[in-house]
Amino acid sequence: MDPWTIGRRGALLGGLAATALPRPAQADDDLLYGPRDPEARRGGRVTVGSLIEPPALDPFRQAADARIRVSVLMYQGLFFEDQSGVARPLLATGAEVSPDGRSWTFRLRRGVKFHTGAAMSSADVKYSYDFMRDARNGSPGAGDLSSVEAIEAPAEDVVVFRLSRPNAALPMTLTNKYGAVVPKDFFADPNSGTRMNEISVGTGPFRLKQFRPNSVLVMERFDGYWMSGQPYLDEITFAVMPNSAAMAVALQSRRIDLAMFSRPQDTQPLANVAGLSVRRWPSLNQKTVDLDCNYGPLKDVRVRQAIANAIDRKAVMDVSIAGYGQVIGTMVAGMQEAWGVPIAELPNQTVDLDRARKLLADAGHAGGFDIDLTTIIGYDWMDPAAVTIAEQLRRVGIRVNIRRIELGVWIRNFRAREMGFTFNDWGTTPDPSLLFYRHFRAAPEGADFRNWNNARASALLDRGQEVSDPAQRRAIYAEFQKILAEEVPTIMMFSSDLLTVNTARLRNYAQHGTGWYFGLAKAWVSG
Amino acid sequence: MLGLIGRRLAAAAVAAFLSALAVFLLMRAVPGDIVGQMLGQSGNDRTAEAALRTFFGLDRPLYLQFGDWLWRTLQGDLGASWYQGKRVTAMIGEAFGVTLQLALMTLLVSTLVGVPLGMLAGIRAGSKLDAAIQAFAMLGLSAPVFWTGLMLLVGAVAAFGWSPPFAWMGPTEDLADNLSILLLPVISLGLLQAAAYAQFVRGLMVAELQRDHIRTAIAKGLPPATVYGVHALRNVLIPLTTFVGLILVQILGGVVVIESLFSLPGLGRLILSALQGRDYPVVQGALLFVVLIAITVNLVIDLLYGLFDPRVRGG
Repeated sequence: MDPWTIGRRGALLGGLAATALPRPAQADDDLLYGPRDPEARRGGRVTVGSLIEPPALDPFRQAADARIRVSVLMYQGLFFEDQSGVARPLLATGAEVSPDGRSWTFRLRRGVKFHTGAAMSSADVKYSYDFMRDARNGSPGAGDLSSVEAIEAPAEDVVVFRLSRPNAALPMTLTNKYGAVVPKDFFADPNSGTRMNEISVGTGPFRLKQFRPNSVLVMERFDGYWMSGQPYLDEITFAVMPNSAAMAVALQSRRIDLAMFSRPQDTQPLANVAGLSVRRWPSLNQKTVDLDCNYGPLKDVRVRQAIANAIDRKAVMDVSIAGYGQVIGTMVAGMQEAWGVPIAELPNQTVDLDRARKLLADAGHAGGFDIDLTTIIGYDWMDPAAVTIAEQLRRVGIRVNIRRIELGVWIRNFRAREMGFTFNDWGTTPDPSLLFYRHFRAAPEGADFRNWNNARASALLDRGQEVSDPAQRRAIYAEFQKILAEEVPTIMMFSSDLLTVNTARLRNYAQHGTGWYFGLAKAWVSG
Repeated sequence: MLGLIGRRLAAAAVAAFLSALAVFLLMRAVPGDIVGQMLGQSGNDRTAEAALRTFFGLDRPLYLQFGDWLWRTLQGDLGASWYQGKRVTAMIGEAFGVTLQLALMTLLVSTLVGVPLGMLAGIRAGSKLDAAIQAFAMLGLSAPVFWTGLMLLVGAVAAFGWSPPFAWMGPTEDLADNLSILLLPVISLGLLQAAAYAQFVRGLMVAELQRDHIRTAIAKGLPPATVYGVHALRNVLIPLTTFVGLILVQILGGVVVIESLFSLPGLGRLILSALQGRDYPVVQGALLFVVLIAITVNLVIDLLYGLFDPRVRGG
């Protein structure tokens, strides 16, 4: 395991850092994107195999994870989402918060250039985040900035965010998932979004060279990058791979240098191949079963609890990802030690079939019932997981009909809050507010996709944003998690580890827990 | 003849219009749209949704959306991809180039392999060689293309430590890379088609060799090369020409699987990814293009029939 990646100890240290810091960390370039390697040399090209491809490259208006994975190398926000849970200054150099928590002042890094060659200023930062937070521009990140009332640029290297209410998660919101800092007025042309498939206008270490849909995306080193001497690689080619088998073949024939596998067990045949290195990294991802609280028998909390008591998460994880992960309670594995409540302290986490049957009987379903369980086509882990869960629920009389649907249809149902009883697969940036708020806060502030509409939970989520003291935040989110476990609008089953395979020539690559390719900014090639 | 051309062109125009309408309505009937894809699980901000719907024109009545698209299409403008921003006609052109190259190379390889094998099997009907060729044909016809492709891919790396590049390279960019990318896909598809050829040609050859003029040629003592290569082959080529057309259509239809398996940016993958992303202009444009190809092929066949058969010409 690479020392930079968080294991249990790393997560703990991250948690301590989070609880000790009343404000975001100050700039430390060595902690950005990955570890610095003193032996690193400049030059060389690498090819990365990827099973998914970005539909487009606009960081403001494309929510797809496949877009974020690659665009983080070209575009940057004010902060970097260190996976220990700390928002580290990236284009900012530090932040100051007013005593009432409603005014954040960010000092900007000097000497930053866009890929266009122009120098970045506070006007660009103001323009970019104003564009993102205006919902009329259609950014999926707009909701995260709903507490921002105004952005000011009082000096060339200073921006001030004025908030309607305190938001302790603001620095983590200004990281790299949605939006970025781009040149002022870039979006004046309505077709600018699609122009981002031809040119990049960010400040990141690499700039776009070519994007050929259904085939390749090529980035080249940005020589004007602000971090001295970086990046090391001359060029990165992302090749779209049809499946894991082809990816394994391409690694063995050295057609590609790096690949991340969606099914961890697919790396097993490569474990002993000379010249290849299989590495396992903790993730900020979770595999869940979501329960629509407005859907048939799931309206009754006792039914949801019964389902939670009947599902053996470890067995599901073993079947679907061959055990390459960690069973979780109410927090993704990568954030468990910093923010999670120990599983033993949460209700409805262990298999208890007698209790499940009693809960069903109390809810008037002593004879069980029929229910559809939705899986998404293309998410391989869901199929064996569905069969296993169907078998587990059959033991308490629940008869499951597995329904496979296409991703586009699933997204429509999800957004329309008509998800029913479904699998889900999602990740987060490492802050509990960004993890929970939009998913579980009652509407209209949150999206409340699962129709939970829980007033107590919503109040806690609001409070968690307002309080800036880390210890208080931790207590608030612990209480929230206990309600989540008790009410079961979702069953967070497990976090799947990220499995990467790289050739020996690719050095110093560290995989970020989000699954995004930050690590390529500090990777290099030997020979 | 002019009357026939006029009638067929009118029918083709009606078929194209109905196909375009059907594609347009079917795409709208499939749940989910590009707005949902763009916003994902990020929230349900109605303002953002409404803004994006307006941007893409999805808030307008369906008849207006269709009318606008049809009007622009009639002027040769299929619009631009909602994701890529590129002109749909250019995207189709690029993708069809890949598909056509794959199809033509497959046709060439399968013809060069399948026709001689079929002839050999026909000439040596009942021999061990015939049995071996028929076994090959059965295997080729039975093995699913995706399985053959995958086995070739895994086999190549196991045997030679080699695999094709997965980043597409056009023939004008780097011919060597282009050919190595297409090697396994062509073999995968070509094996199936060569098997079909071999079976078809064998049947024709067996029938041809029993005909009087062949028996006469043999009795006259003509060399085997002349008997088989000239007298027999000439008659076999006539039905074979029709078969080649069928094979080409079959290859074009079957490339979707192989394009996906080998990451080839052809027409099949273009349509598939646009469908998944609900990129309506690309789906509508590309499917209309496919329909127009089918209509054109049928039109040409109809007209050729008319040319050769006066009864058809009379209507």
